[in-house]
Formats: sequence, structure tokens, C-alpha cells
Amino acid sequence: MIGSVAKVHWVLLLAVGVLAAAAGTGWAWRNASEGNSTASSDDKVGRLSESFSDRKKRLGESSYSGLERKLRGQRDKFTITIRQPVGPPRVELRAPNSLQRGKPITVACSTCHASRPANFANRTPADLDEFHQDLTFAHGNVTCLSCHNPDNYDTLHLADGSSVEYSDVMTLCAQCHGPQTRDYRHGAHGGMIGYWDLSRGPRTRNNCVDCHDPHAPSFPAMKPTFKPRDRFLNSTIDAKKGHSEVHPHER
Amino acid sequence: MSDSQRANGSDPSSASNAEPLLPILGQSGSTRRTMMKGAGLTLGLAAFGKAISPLTAIPENVSVAEFLQQHYKELSSDDKKTILARLEAEAKENYGAEVSISDHRPIPGVKFGYAINLSKCNGNGKCVEACHTENNHDRTTQESYIRVLEMDKGSMDLETANTTYTHTVPQDDKFYMPVQCQQCDNPPCVTVCPVEATWKEEDGIVVVDYNWCIGCRYCEAACPYHARRFNWEAPTVPTDDINPNQSYLSNRIRPQGVVEKCHYCLHRTREGRLPACLEACPTGARVFGDLNDPESEIVWILKNKRVFVLKEDLGTQPSFFYFFDS
Amino acid sequence: MSSVTLPKSSDTARIAAPQVRNYPRFLLWLLGVATDGGVWFYTWMFVLTAIFLVGANAWAIQVAEGMIVTHMTDHVSWGLYIANFTFAVGVAAGGVMMVIPAYLYHNKKMHDVVIVGELLAIAAIVMCLMFVTADLGRPDRFWHMIPGLGRFNFPLSMLTWDVVVLNGYLLINLHICGYMLYMRYLGQRPNPRWYVPFVMVSVFWAISIHTVTAFLYCGLGGRPFWNSALLAPRFLASAFVSGPAFIIVTLLILKRMLGERISDEPIRLLVNIVRVTMVVNLIMIVSEVFTEFYTGGSHTASARYLFIGLHGHYGLVPWIWTAMVANVAAAVLFLSPLVFRRTSVLVVACGLAFLAAWIEKGMGLIVPGFVPSTLHEIVEYQPSLLEWKVTASVWAFGLMVYTIGLKAAIGVIAQSPQLPDEGPTHD
Repeated sequence: MIGSVAKVHWVLLLAVGVLAAAAGTGWAWRNASEGNSTASSDDKVGRLSESFSDRKKRLGESSYSGLERKLRGQRDKFTITIRQPVGPPRVELRAPNSLQRGKPITVACSTCHASRPANFANRTPADLDEFHQDLTFAHGNVTCLSCHNPDNYDTLHLADGSSVEYSDVMTLCAQCHGPQTRDYRHGAHGGMIGYWDLSRGPRTRNNCVDCHDPHAPSFPAMKPTFKPRDRFLNSTIDAKKGHSEVHPHER
Repeated sequence: MSDSQRANGSDPSSASNAEPLLPILGQSGSTRRTMMKGAGLTLGLAAFGKAISPLTAIPENVSVAEFLQQHYKELSSDDKKTILARLEAEAKENYGAEVSISDHRPIPGVKFGYAINLSKCNGNGKCVEACHTENNHDRTTQESYIRVLEMDKGSMDLETANTTYTHTVPQDDKFYMPVQCQQCDNPPCVTVCPVEATWKEEDGIVVVDYNWCIGCRYCEAACPYHARRFNWEAPTVPTDDINPNQSYLSNRIRPQGVVEKCHYCLHRTREGRLPACLEACPTGARVFGDLNDPESEIVWILKNKRVFVLKEDLGTQPSFFYFFDS
Repeated sequence: MSSVTLPKSSDTARIAAPQVRNYPRFLLWLLGVATDGGVWFYTWMFVLTAIFLVGANAWAIQVAEGMIVTHMTDHVSWGLYIANFTFAVGVAAGGVMMVIPAYLYHNKKMHDVVIVGELLAIAAIVMCLMFVTADLGRPDRFWHMIPGLGRFNFPLSMLTWDVVVLNGYLLINLHICGYMLYMRYLGQRPNPRWYVPFVMVSVFWAISIHTVTAFLYCGLGGRPFWNSALLAPRFLASAFVSGPAFIIVTLLILKRMLGERISDEPIRLLVNIVRVTMVVNLIMIVSEVFTEFYTGGSHTASARYLFIGLHGHYGLVPWIWTAMVANVAAAVLFLSPLVFRRTSVLVVACGLAFLAAWIEKGMGLIVPGFVPSTLHEIVEYQPSLLEWKVTASVWAFGLMVYTIGLKAAIGVIAQSPQLPDEGPTHD
């Protein structure tokens, strides 16, 4: 009996040993494929990425470093276009009854403002007696004439008083919105379409006023229009996390 | 062994010492029983044939060429040409669409990275829709590679998140986190695949060979980001809605019964273009680029923003990053 | 080795074996013996065949129309098939609980019936392979997994390990059963060189099949419910409950059919084994449940969903509590002396233990791993009718394999001479 107990122990030990070895092999392989990936471009290990510095080192020796340099050299082949508003805005006239049909009549700002003296006391549309009263205004503490140029209403003005065209409105925005401007310059703010790789094609970027209404710049609320229709998930809309449904904004 | 012992009590007629050619027929001495067995076997086989008759639909969907097709990495460029032509013909036949399927390879020296600004994302789901149309997803399920989580501010607990919200966004006490394939540098889905039908390419994109996947869905179980989708049936896409600009490893119409996943729109990005979800984003929350290019937008973000990755504790090393403005 | 010897007048004993002297012909002869039987046998096989055909039809529909006909989703991407697969692996591993006493402790009584355990292992492994095939979205691409022909991701993928160990276990057991029966048939003493190494290998191989199957799940960091080092030991403990429980019932049936020739001692020994493994299994369940619920947090969401429901979803709560009640009831019955006195109590205890393990390793383990999903969405899963059909079909086929195996073994043992140096072992 003693002998057979010993045998059982041996067999179990063997079993554990083999399993451990098996687990160890799997682990070692996994790690090997991580470690080797920097040194080898073998298929199996190549699925894990090389580190940046190692790749640079390899690029220096390999033939396509030349190609890469060439690509870098061609970087400016295509440009980034920033969308611009076309000219000064035109204001829609409230057409009298007889003119209701057809296109509404629009006029340039200067049409009226050239003949009206600027009133610096008016800070918001609510202060006005006529015109622009229904304009939604929610842009901090600035006033109309903080941005609009009282000397020429078809342009804007910077803080130092110098005039700036409507098409260059981003220069004006940038005065106050430093972090956003910094992020924009580095491609980390604002939508874009086109090519990430400028050696292969151009890119078009949004202007501030494409997304932000200058008079009420906070991004508008939206209604999500597209939801995946997962099987069996619909029943959970009501039951799961009921609190999102009773949110005050809901009504 | 004694023969007398064995023959004891048995039917003497079959107790022959000669080895019969077909032992089954020769034994037990009862031809009636043998015949019954034969009849039962025939009936059973006929019934089995009838039972599995729905399988006759398969030869219509799976050609011999497809059945014998080798793994993507073993295909020569001539093989690929033939296969792409066949796939284009199949798209024409099954979906009535003129499509062009290419085989986009990684751009040498490029490693893709993606970042999302969670201060900007407002959960409108335009990216979800763009992915859906760009990648020829199944129309009946409105499938997409992206899911947008509505999260409680002040918490990274996914359990309080919600993907099925339909109210106006953004809500004041919420933030929104789109999740798609994180293109991990240590991808658990690739490790577990028993047939190497999914792998990580040099530019960091984890791809699937839809003609090699056996549909075991182990990768779906392994992925911590719910990034993989299975084609529970052949996708339905109306002819007019099909995006004809396709690639073998990306948005070509997938066969039934295989797994698919986000591929960073490699049919666009390997041509230097931006991914469809980025172009669709109205808030500009998405940033895409080359992690190996020190001048790229994505590298600037990694250097200058406080960036995090999802489920970092799992060691998956995503190439997909999240950040907040200041 | 003679305690299973049948009365010479029985149906199978009347078969006169021709002088078959080569192995393939022996197997053919065996098939003939195994398919001979009375009305009950043919009725039993007819019913199993009918169930199998219904399921085969269901599977064919699934392959043709896609797995949309199941209730699996991208959230719960494995369901009833993989649940049953996991359980069947356990049953296969459980067969080894007869091999250890028989060969390592030289328990003679167990030696006589050890083939029952080995045949159960064969049948269960066949079921495993069928369940995996049923779960594949593209069974036509099965050849992609064949080493040499396809691309076998070994050793990285645990699934490839599982393929290796399951097929290996199948071959080992086929070899052991076939060799022992052939030798018995020829009236020769088996050559230890041809079976002892295989038996020894099969002992730890049995442990490895269930360990590797557990590693399939517990190696996934994204699924905290499975990501527990206790998973493999738990698998083994419950396997050593469900396997012996099934064998005990088999032995009781055989005893009823063949009379007192089946001795009680192997049954007693198996009951004693189950007494231990059952309690060990319960301890591990309690330990796992404690860790989950005392710790709390989002990593324990699956356990909460399983045991008490989560955010208004209770789909698995009835399942797991059925398993828990059955587990405890079976443990109480097994530990009571009644289990030796009344056969009915023993059968009920085995049935409960088997049911409990089936739920606990299936719907109670595979499905909650997916609920909530990795993004914490809750999509519930209850199998579709088609999945039940396919599952029943695989079980029916497994039982057919098991029945035919037992018939063949009994046929050989019944008409083979005793070995002179062993003698009757009845005491």
C-alpha cells in the first residue's frame, strides 16, 4: 500500500510538472513574442509592434530610410486648407408683405450701420430698441462692439483696435481662447477631412465659426440619430440604469 | 484459449474455424437479424441524409475556390489577384454591386494611433453611423464597430454607463466615451485565435482574414473592449448603399459566420486618408495619425495632454487613447 | 476479471466468435456484437437515433442560415454548446476516478469495471468534439485547424491546446479499451508494456484536459468572472463528482441487467470518492462566492447577476439556485449512510450531483462570463429551441456511443474465458 501511495504521488507530481511546463511554455512564448518583436520582423512576432527608437535604428540601415526621407521632403506637397467665411455676413431683411415671395432680401451690415452712429452703451441685443433683438447672445461678458468694428461694420476689430476681415475671424477668436488656439494649431481641436498624410493629399479644416456660433459659441445640443439595433438589448433601455431617463433635461 | 469453452452454448451452425471475410455477417447465425440490421442501417442513413439536407444550400454560397483558399499570408500576388477578382464577382452576384476590392498593405515606417477628446465628444453618434455606411455593415442590425458609452461625470465605472440613450446630448452630468477596437500592441484576441485568422500588422492594425476565420468566437470572448462582431447571418446591404471602395482585410462585404472588427478604415488610412469616423465627427473630438512621426498631431497630444488608455491594468497596450482638455 | 461473466444462456453469450486473429476484424466483429440485443436495446437505440436526427436537422439549418437561429449575440457569444462542451470535458475527466484506484491502487474489483469509466471518457470526448463543431460559425473551414494543412496557432492559443489534449485523450482511451478487450477476447494476458504506460499517461492526461479547458476561460483578463486561479481546481472537483456519479448509475443499471455479477465494491468506492470531491467542490464554490461578494465592485458584477440578479435582470438566478440546492441536497444524501442502504437514494443523489455540475459548469459558468459584457452592457441569454435540439442530439449520440461501447465490452467479457492465473475474485 505504501508503495502504491508513493506511486500515486509520483504520478500526480508528474502531472503537475507537465502542466506547469505546459503553462510555462505558453507564457514563455507569449513573452518571447513580445521581447523579440524589437529584434526580428518574423511573421509570428512581427504582429507586436516595434518600439519607436528601435525602428528608427533599423530605418537608418535599411533601404527605405531613403524613401522615408523622400516622403518627409514631400511633406509640403499638399496643404492644409482652413475653411473661411465668404466676406462679411449679410443680414436678412424682414420683408414687407408684398415681397414675401422669392428670395429674402439681404443687406450688408454697412447698409444700415454706415449711417447710424455706434452706441457703446448697448451691450447685448436686449438693450436694443429695434433690429437684432431676437439674436441669441451668450458669449461671456463681451459686448457687440468688443468684436464688431464701429468704424467699419463690414469688418471686425482686435483688442488693439486694428481692423480684421470677417474671413480672418479666427485671429479675433484666438485673442481670448488661447488653449483652444494652441490645440487647434496642433490638430487637436476642430474637425477635418482629407488626408492625415500630407505627402499623399490635402486636408481641409474647419474654421471656429463652422462649429461655434460667434454670438452663442457653446456647441449646440444634439439628438443622437443612429443606434445599433442589438438583439435582446432593447429590453434593457428602460430597465437598466433608470436614472438617465428621469434626468431633468429629458423634458 | 479453448474453443470448446467459447463455443459452449452457442449456435453450432456458426462455430466455424475459418475466419469469415465479413465477421459481422458471419456471426450469430441469424441471417434474419443481419438483414434487420442492414435495413435499420439503411433507413437510419436515409433519415440522416434527409435530416442534414438543409446543408445543400452551402455549395451555392461556398465555392470550391473559396473552400481551398489558403491563409492570407501564404497567398502570392497572383493568388491575390485571382481572389480579389472572384470576390468582386461574388459581390456583383450576391449584392448586385460593382465594387473594387484592393489589397492595401501597411505604409513602411508608419504606426497608427488614435485619440479621442472626451471633453469634446458629446455622444451624438455620427461616428457610429459613418462607420456603419463606410464599412458595409449589416443594415438590419445597424451594426457598427463603435459603441458610445454615456458615463457619469466623476466616474470611470463602466457599470454605470449606458449605450442605449436616445435623449438630447450632452447631458450636464454625463460625459461620452466612444469605444472601438483599441488596436492593442498586446492583443488578447490575436493570442487566442486557434487558426491565426487574426493578426497585428506592422502599422499596428489588427486585421482579420474573413476567408480564414472558422467562427469559433474565442476572440470575442477574449477582447476586453467588446470590439469584435460576429456575422450571425450574411449581412444585408441594399445595392445602392454599398460602398464600392473596398479592401480585402477591411470593408469588403463579410461572409456569414466569421468575426470582424474595426481596422482603422485601412482602405482609407493606408492611402493616407483619415478614417471615416474622424471625418464624420462634428465636434472634432477625434485625432488620428502616425505615432512614428514626431511632428504628427497624435504625438503632440500624447506629449502635451494627460492621456489615458482604457483598462490599462489588463496590459493590452492599446494604440487608442483618451484625453480631456486640461 | 470474471465477475462480469454472464450466464451462458444470455443473448450475447450465444454469439460464437469466429477465429478473428487481427485487430481490424476484431473491431468489426465487436460492432456486430454491440449491435445485437433485445427489444429494449433496439427501442433505446431507436429513441436515441430519433433524437439525434432531429438535432442533426437543426444543426444543418444552423449551418445553412447562420447562427442567427441561436440566441447567442455579440454580447453573449458562447452559449449552450460551449456550456455543454465544458461539462462534457468534466465527465470525460471524471472517468479517470476509476482508473486511479484500479491501476494505481491495484483494486481488483475496480479493475473489473474500469472499462466503464474509460468508455464513458470516450463517449464524452466524442460529445465534446461535436459540441465544439456545433459552435463553429464555419464548420466547412474545419481543416484550417489541422496542423500541417492549416495554421495551428500552437502553443499560443489555449484552444489549440484543448484540441491536442482532447484528441489525445480520445486516442489513449480508444487504445486502452481496444487493447484490453482484444487481449481478453484472445484469452491472453495483456502485455503491461502495451497498456501500463498509456494508463499512467491517461491519469494525468485526464487532469490536463479539464485543466486546459479551464485555462481557456481563466486566461482571459477581460472576463473577471472567469479570471480566477480557482477555476481549474473547481473544474476538476466538479468533474470528479459528475463523472463518478454517472458511472455509479451505469453500474447500477448493469447490475440490474446482469444480476449479482457486478460487485458492490466499486460502487462503494466511487461513492466514497464522490463524498470527498463533492465537499471539496462545495468549499471552493463557497470560497469563490465569498471573494466575489465580500469584495464587491464592478469585477463582481457577473457573480451578482448570476446569484441575485443585476439591474433588474434575473435570467440566471433560477438556474444557479437550482444547482446550489441540488449540490447541497446531493452532498447531504451522499454523506448519509442511506446512500449505501437504498439504491433509490443513491440514484437520486447521483442525479442531483450530475444536474448540479451540469448547470454549474454550463449555464452557471459560461453565460455569466458574458453578462454584463466587457463594456458592462446587460444582454441576457436563454437558449433557443434549436440550440436545445442540437444539444439533445449530441447527448443522444454520446449515449449511443456509450451504449455500444458497453455492449461490446460485455459481449467480449461474457464469452471470453477466464485467465487461469487470476481466478474468481468473488469473495
